[in-house]
Amino acid sequence: MKNTAWTLLTPRLLSARPGVQNSRRSRFFFFLFIGLIFWTGAFLIFYRVLTYFQSVQDFGDILAIKLLSMMIVTFFTLLLFSSIINSLSHLYLSRDLSLLHSLPVSMVDIFRSRWLISAFDSSWMVVAFSFPVFLSYGLVYHAGIFYYLITLAAIVCMCLIASGLSSMVVLLGAAILPAGKIRTLFVILGVMLAVLLVVVLRMIQPEQLVNPDSFASVVLYLNSMQALSLPYLPTTWITDTVRFALKSEWSGSVLNLSLSASCVLFLLFINETTAGAIYFRGFSRAQTTAKRLFKPVTFSGHSWEGLFNFLSRPARAFAVKELRSFFRDSTQWPQLFLICALIVIYLYNFSVLPLDRSPIKTVYLQNVFSFLNVGLSAFVLSAIAARFVFPAVSMEGEAFWIIQSAPVSMKTFLWIKFFLYYLPLLFLTETLIIASNILLKVTPFMMFLSVLTIFCLVPAIVALAVGLGARYPDFKSENPAMSATSFGGLLFMLLSFGLIAFVIILEAGPVYRIFMAKLHGQALSLTQIIRLVLSFSFALFLCIFAVFYPMKLGEKHLLKR
Amino acid sequence: MIELKQLTKDYGTTLAVDNLSLHVAAGEIYGFIGPNGAGKTTTIRMMGGIIEPTAGRIMISGIDIHKEPVAAKKMIGFVPDRPFLYEKLTGMEFLKFVGDLYNVDLQHLYRKSEELLKQFSLWDWANEIIEAYSHGMKQRLIIAAALLHDPKVMVIDEPMVGLDPEAVRMVRDILKGLAAQNVTVFVSTHTLSLAEDLCDRIGVIHKGNLIAEGTVAELNLAAKTGEARLEEVFLTLVREV
Repeated sequence: MKNTAWTLLTPRLLSARPGVQNSRRSRFFFFLFIGLIFWTGAFLIFYRVLTYFQSVQDFGDILAIKLLSMMIVTFFTLLLFSSIINSLSHLYLSRDLSLLHSLPVSMVDIFRSRWLISAFDSSWMVVAFSFPVFLSYGLVYHAGIFYYLITLAAIVCMCLIASGLSSMVVLLGAAILPAGKIRTLFVILGVMLAVLLVVVLRMIQPEQLVNPDSFASVVLYLNSMQALSLPYLPTTWITDTVRFALKSEWSGSVLNLSLSASCVLFLLFINETTAGAIYFRGFSRAQTTAKRLFKPVTFSGHSWEGLFNFLSRPARAFAVKELRSFFRDSTQWPQLFLICALIVIYLYNFSVLPLDRSPIKTVYLQNVFSFLNVGLSAFVLSAIAARFVFPAVSMEGEAFWIIQSAPVSMKTFLWIKFFLYYLPLLFLTETLIIASNILLKVTPFMMFLSVLTIFCLVPAIVALAVGLGARYPDFKSENPAMSATSFGGLLFMLLSFGLIAFVIILEAGPVYRIFMAKLHGQALSLTQIIRLVLSFSFALFLCIFAVFYPMKLGEKHLLKR
Repeated sequence: MIELKQLTKDYGTTLAVDNLSLHVAAGEIYGFIGPNGAGKTTTIRMMGGIIEPTAGRIMISGIDIHKEPVAAKKMIGFVPDRPFLYEKLTGMEFLKFVGDLYNVDLQHLYRKSEELLKQFSLWDWANEIIEAYSHGMKQRLIIAAALLHDPKVMVIDEPMVGLDPEAVRMVRDILKGLAAQNVTVFVSTHTLSLAEDLCDRIGVIHKGNLIAEGTVAELNLAAKTGEARLEEVFLTLVREV
C-alpha cells in the first residue's frame, strides 16, 4: 500500500525542485557562497581554538569536552525554539492546511507529514552549521570514519528529539489554549528567550576571562558545570556519543546513541498517539475567529492620530496604520524584547570593560573603543533595520493594491515609510552611542564625531533598508518578517556592513592624525587638512548616495510591477 | 468617463491585453466579460493604476493615469477581485485610513463611514479587527471603502464574489444609483445574468482582444444568435475566435 504520509510530502518535495530561471539560480549560488564563507569561518575558528586547547596542559581535554557539551546544549536549545515555531506554523497556521484536512487521510498521516517537514525546516540550518564544529573535533582528535558516521547519526537523533519534544509542547499547547491565542506562545517564548539570553550571558561573565585573578574561579566554574551533566538529558547522551567516539570507545558511544535513538522512537510514538487524539481539536480551534491578546481600543478618532498632527493626512494615515498593525501583531513583540535585551547587554559590556587595567594608555584606548563603538552601534542598527525596516514594504502583503490604487505616489509612500523608521531609529542609535560613550568616558571631540557619524549613517541605513525592501519585496509571504533572510535581506546586510566599514575607514585615518597631533601638541599640516576634508566629504557623499539611490531603485521597481 | 486607447500589456511570456481601445461615457454601466485568462483583471488593474501598461493610454475623466496618477486615482473607486485588507485594523479604522488617503473632509468622512457601515450591515463589526471578518464581510468593506470619497468612476472586478443574495441586490442597486448620478461604472464579471441585467453596454474580451461590444441586442446581432440570452451570445462569440 502506498504510504499516505509520503504522498502528503510530495507537494513540498516537488516545489523544492531547483528553478530554471537564471535569477533564481544566481540567487542560489549567492546564498551558497555566503553560507560557505560562514562555514569556513566557523571551521577555522573552532579548529584554531581546539588546537590551542590541545596545547594547554591538564585542562586541554576538559576545556574541549566542555566546549563540545556547551555547543551541543546551544544547538539543542536553538533546535527546540526553532522547532516550536516551525511546528506551530506547519501544524496549525499554514494556509494549505484547510486543503489537507479536507482530504480523506487520517490525522496521524497529516501529523506525520507535517512533523517531518517541520523537523527538516527547523534543523537543516543548525545541522549545516554544526558540521564545521564536529569536523574540527574529528581532525584535531584524529578520529576515524566511525566518529563521523556515529556523529552524523547523533546529530539526526538530536534534531528529531528536539522536534519531537517541540511538537508535543505545541500539540498540548494548542489543545489547552483557546483558539486564536495560539500566537501567545510566540510572545511567551520570546520573553523567555530574551531573559534566558541575558541571564546566560551575564552568568558566563566573559570579561573575567581577561582577568588572571579570576582564573581560580574559572576552574571552579568548570567544575561546577561538570556537575550539571545530568544522565537523563538527551544532550548528555548526544555529547557522550560524540565524546566516546572521539576517543574510539565504541561501546559507550553506541550505548548513548541507542539511548538517543530509542528516545526518538518513544517521542514519535507518543506524538502520534497524542496527535490522533487531540490534533484535530487544536486545528479546529485555530480556525475560529482571531482574537487579540488584549481588549481592542475602541475607535475614537483621536487615539494615535494626536501624536502625528504635524504630518500631512496621508502621512498620518500611514503612520497610524503602521503603528496599529505593528502593535497588534503579537508575533512582533518578542523581537522588541530581544532588542531591549541586546541593548542592555551592549551597554553593560561597555560598563565592565577593564580599561584601567590595560597596559595601553587609557585615554588612547577609550578613544579607540569609542571609534569601534560607532561601527558596532551601526551594526546593531543594521541588524534592527534588517528585521524591522527591510520587511516594511513586504508587510503591506496582499493589501498592497490599496497603496497602488490610492491617490498617493509611490515616492511619497516610500518616504513616509522611511521617516516612520528613521526617527525612532535615530533616537535609539544616538542614545546607544551617547550612553556607551559616557560609560567609556571619551573626549568631547570623539563624542561629537560619534554623534555626527551616526547622524549621517542612520538615514543611509534606513533608506538602504526601505529601498532594497521595495526592490525585493515579497507580498505573498505568510510571514513577511522572514524576508530579512531572503536574497534582498542578505544583500542589504552586505551593503550596509560595506557602507559602515567604508565610512569608518574614511574617518579612521584623519581622526588618528588629529588625535596624534593633539597628543603631541602639534597643528595639522595643510596636506593633512585637505585629506581630512576629502575623507569626510567622501564619507558624507556615500551616506547621501545611500539615502537617495536605493529609494529611487525601490520606487522604480514598485512602479514597474 | 473612461477611455482606453490601444492599451497593451505584455508580460514577456504572455500578451495579456492586445491593443485594446474602448470608451465608457459618464453615467454608463459597462460590463466587461470574457473567459478565464482573457485579460479582464489585467485591464482592470491597469485602470486602477496597479500595473503599468506596456503601451497605450488610460484616460479617467479626461486625466491620463500615466501622466497624472494621483489626480486620476482620486476620481476612481477601485474594488479588486480578492478582498485583501489590513487585517490588524478595525473596519472603522480602515475606512478612516482610506478617507485620509483620499483627503475626504473629516466631518463627511465620519458621517459617510457610519452610513456605509450601516448600509453594508457592518456597523456592529465596526470596532472589530478585519482579521475576524468573513470573506463576504471583507468584500462589503472594500466596496464601502471605494464609495467613501464619492468617486466619479467605479472600477470593479468581480463585485459579487462572496456576497450573500441580499448584498448582491444591494450592490446592484447602489451601482445603478451611482450611474443615475452620472458616475461611470466599469464592471468585470463572470456572472452573465448580472451583466445582462445591470449593464448598459457589454464588452467581450478574449485572448487580450475586444472581440465584440454593445448592448445585448447588438451583441446578438454580431453573434447572429437572434434574441438569445447573454450566456448563449458569449459562448458563440468566444467559440468563433
